[in-house]
Order: sequence, then structure tokens, then C-alpha cells
Amino acid sequence: MITYAYYPGCVAQESGKELDNATKFIADKLGINLIPMPEASCCGGGVIDGFDKNLKLFINGRTLALAEKDGLDIMTICNTCTLTLSEVNEELINNPESLEKTNEYLAKIGLKYSGKVKVKHILYAVRDDIGFDKLKEKAVKSLKGINIAPFYGCHILRPSSAVKFDDPENPQGFEELIKALGGEPVSYGRRTKCCGFQTILVNEATSTSLAGNAIFEAQEKNADVMVTPCPLCHLSLDTYQTVAAKSINKKLSLPILHLPQLIGIALGGDYAEMGFSRHNVSLRGIMAKVRQNEI
Amino acid sequence: MEFKIRAYRFNPEIDEKPYYKEYTVEDYPGMTVLNALIKVKSEIDGTLSFRRSCRSAICGSCAMKINGISKLACKTQVGPEIEKFGIINVEPLANMPVIRDLIVDQESFFDKIKEIKPYLLGQREDDARDNFHALKEGEKISQPVYYKYEFQNLTGNNDTPNCILCECCYSECGGVVGNPKYLGPAALAKLYRYCEDPRDNDKNGSRLVNGSKPDGMWDCVHCQSCEEFCPKGISPVKSIVKLHERTIKNSITFSAGAKHVVSIAKSIGETGRLDEIKVAFDSGGISGLINDLPMAFGAGLKGKIPPLRLKLIKDMDDIRLAYKELDLEEK
Repeated sequence: MITYAYYPGCVAQESGKELDNATKFIADKLGINLIPMPEASCCGGGVIDGFDKNLKLFINGRTLALAEKDGLDIMTICNTCTLTLSEVNEELINNPESLEKTNEYLAKIGLKYSGKVKVKHILYAVRDDIGFDKLKEKAVKSLKGINIAPFYGCHILRPSSAVKFDDPENPQGFEELIKALGGEPVSYGRRTKCCGFQTILVNEATSTSLAGNAIFEAQEKNADVMVTPCPLCHLSLDTYQTVAAKSINKKLSLPILHLPQLIGIALGGDYAEMGFSRHNVSLRGIMAKVRQNEI
Repeated sequence: MEFKIRAYRFNPEIDEKPYYKEYTVEDYPGMTVLNALIKVKSEIDGTLSFRRSCRSAICGSCAMKINGISKLACKTQVGPEIEKFGIINVEPLANMPVIRDLIVDQESFFDKIKEIKPYLLGQREDDARDNFHALKEGEKISQPVYYKYEFQNLTGNNDTPNCILCECCYSECGGVVGNPKYLGPAALAKLYRYCEDPRDNDKNGSRLVNGSKPDGMWDCVHCQSCEEFCPKGISPVKSIVKLHERTIKNSITFSAGAKHVVSIAKSIGETGRLDEIKVAFDSGGISGLINDLPMAFGAGLKGKIPPLRLKLIKDMDDIRLAYKELDLEEK
């Protein structure tokens, strides 16, 4: 059994609880032991260095030090948390001045960081620690015939100086996972583009047009469902889908799954437990397709 | 080895709409995409149009989309592209209108560079004696000159002066895709570069105030594409974030973007968590809330509502101490 310090991030503990539930379900099925981190703080939502660069180092250095104290690597389920923790980790490993400054603060709260922790997003934890072949073996339901559009988003791929899981120009991890579960990955240009979430409260028109165009493109390529590894992308793509449709003046109706929910379906998860009713765009079509495969 | 180039073609004087044309070219070790395009133009099809000049990744002319990513054709070798994609797909840069084939109209890009005033403002009092005048016999130029390394040491800014204005970042920028009026990464990185220049005399902070207006620094979507795909290894997004930090530290917080960041910092300082409701309210104000009401109501009906009162994280005093150590408690 693989053990990780589990860092769900804020949204998965607040409005996006369905993601946390689905993650816990699949971790249990796949033999990933998730140790909660009740002391861990918010990573700063990808913008905290715009307030104070050192605050980003201190609060995230503390999260890394908490995991290091227990001898664990961190597993994340949010792109932005992944990038922020990875960026701080790189900074602390490569910049002795930043490490010293952070450790001065950490010493005052009884912690120390030496750079041993690895930060891994669940997509790549499943790929590297479980393996897609093993995932395939454990699947009890087939996603055969379902056109699944992977939406990577930004912070799981870029900048590759900090997040080093996949090829930022032509990533394949998500597609390989979909194929392992029997699904058909939809190929579309905006799969690695931005969902716009970071400016959703600042400039809604910019933000929602980005999400809207990604959904529209996937729809045009006959996607039955779009899947995202990030709860922030999920808010843009699902919760704001009606707003996005208005902003690009197109009809949009594409169900959006969290990545652990997709894996959860294949592993026989209970739809209610995985929070399928909490989505803005109905998932009934997908559930019907999965049921068809069972017959 | 032979390989295929699939080039975007469009001549608005003749063509109704853009189309793609394929050319077969013989590879040689170390061949660049620009070498290949020059070969096509000189040996196969003289009508293929593209900008090029230095062939040394310093003039920025030959930026184009190569297999979907904005790159300098002279810096991109054919071999690895063929290995990854099996073809060389060339298209004009995005976010700018096409003039012909791979040539785009750069006017909007350079208008935005001009908008941030890419020159030193005002004059420092101690520089008054350096008013422009004809040198007298034997007089030496006394204007302070900063060499690149001095500028870097003074400002910690060791990358933005290396920008070659190739527009790769602008073409990849998610912010410009969503809002064509957005200044974009190159102009904003330049704005930061002038803000940090010790010779600049921006007495009333006009650079930061103007940069905070709509379509400015707070419209960055943090997609990180500008850093990932800059052929010169510059990170405009990091410069933009430094602009944010400088703006907030100078209490220029009239923009929704600044309010958003301050609210997130405040929320973490109070609870250790990001308070979704409070941050939404602080960023958009009442009008923002009213605007989002139908969406929020829909989400509420599905049970997708964040808790009204957040539970503090364990050992919250640790976080409070971080704010105290950094003297951020009052902000």
C-alpha cells in the first residue's frame, strides 16, 4: 500500500466536496493510504505571491515541512495547489537563501524543511504508483464507446520548470488513463488551455469565454463528457457553464466530471456518494451509457 | 529522410478562406524549421510567405505556430518535432490578424507596448544638470549609465530586458484569447521592467495606477503559457505577479483584481483557508454578487454551496505567526 499526505485544497473541502469523496473512494479501491493534514493551510490560490512572495514561501513551506516530518510525499487533487506547492518546493530546494529564511520561521513553530518531499497530483500518482495496467485490471465497469474529452488545464503542465509530470506541448497521461478505462479520448486543441478561473471574480467575460470555447470545441468533436483534474477548472466548466454559454453566444450542454469521479465510475463507485447530483450539468447521459455497457 | 511540412496558406487578395498546403522536404542533421521553410520557398513554392531575418533567435521575426505551439522557426529543429508529431505543421501566430500565410499584423501588439510608456519617465532632481545640451569642448557625458549586470543587481530583474518582442508569449496568452484588449505578457513584463528601473522617475506611481486599470495587469489568467513558451527563457507571468505585489504594497487596491488577492490573503490569515463566499463578495462587490446570483442559486439548489462559517485549521497560530513575522497583520 502506498501512503501519501493528502492535501485536498480548499475547494474540495468546501463547494466541491464531491471531489474529496470520489478521491477517498478510489484511493481505498486502489490501495492508496491517504493521511489527512488537518494543520495544512490554503496554498494561496495561485495568487498569494501577488500579496507577498515570502508569505507564499512560509505557508507552503510549512505544509511541505509537515509532510516531511511524517516522512511522506504529498498527494494533491487540484492543479493550482499542485503548482503552488511544487513551485515553493523548487524554490526551497534550489535557493539556499529562501530555504534559510523559511526555516527561520519554521523553527519558531517547531518545524524544519530540508527538501525531501515530492508533490504529486493524483493523475500522475495513479500512473506512476499504481500503473494504468493495474487500474484496468481493477475496473469493474467499462467506459467503452464513451467519448471523453480530457481537459488538462494549466497548472498541472506549466511551467514545466516546477511541474514535471508530462510533456507540456503534447501531454499524454490523461489520454492513456482514459484508454486504460476503455473510453475514447477526444482530441481537441483546447485540452491544454486555460479555463479562465483565476479571473472569474475579476473579469468574468474573459474568464467564461475561455471555458465556453473549450467546452464548445469538445462538443463539436462529439465529446459525451469532459473530465478535469482540477476543482477550479470544474467550477469554470460546470458551475459557470450557463454563464459561459451566454458569453460566447453558443449552446453548451456538456457534463463535466472530476477525474476521480471518472475513475470512480470504472471502479464501481456509488453515484450518490461521489456527488453526481451536485453538478450543474446533468450526468444522466453518462450514467445511461455506462449502464448500456453493463447489459 | 524526407518529411512533410503542412503550411497554413492565405492570401486575402485571392483566397476566400485559408487552406493548408503540404510540401515534402529532405532533412539533414540539425535542420531548423526555418531552414526547411527557406528550402520550400527557394526550391518548391516561391509564394509561401513568412518573416525571417537573423536566423540566430535574436530578432524574433520568424515566430510562428509550429505543431500548435508558438516558437521561433530558426530555433526549432526539425528532428525532435518530427519525432513527436510526425509532421511540421506551421501556422501564423494567434491573437493577431493574418496579413498573408505565416505573416501576422503586429500593430495591436506594438500599440500595447507603446501604451505602457517603454521609456524612462521624468527626470530625477539630481539629473537636472544633465539637460540636453551641446557638449562643450572637453566636456564628457555625465548621464548615469547602468550596465546590464548593474541593472540586474539593482532590481533583481534578470530576464525581462532579454525580451526580443517576438510575440510568442502574446500568441499563447490565455488572457488575450479571452480579452483582445488585454495588454498581454510582453507589455506588462516591460511595465515591470520600467517600474524597477532605478533611473525611472515615476513620482506619483502612475505606472502602477494605469497598469491596474481594466485590460491591465489584473487580467492575467495565470495560465503560465508565457513562461512555458518564451524562446528566451523569460517569465512574463512572474513579472506580472511582482507588479501585483508592488501595487498592493503601494496600497493601489481600487481594482477588483487587487481586492481579490487581498481578500484571499486576509481569509488565510483569519482561518487558514480560502473563504469562497467572502472572497467572491470582496472581489466583485454587491454588483458582482447580484450578477452571479442566478448561477449561485443554481449551484445552491444542487447543494454545491461552501460553508458560511469556516472551521479554523489546526494550529492556526502557526499561520498567524507567519503574518506577524512578515509584518502583514495590518494589511
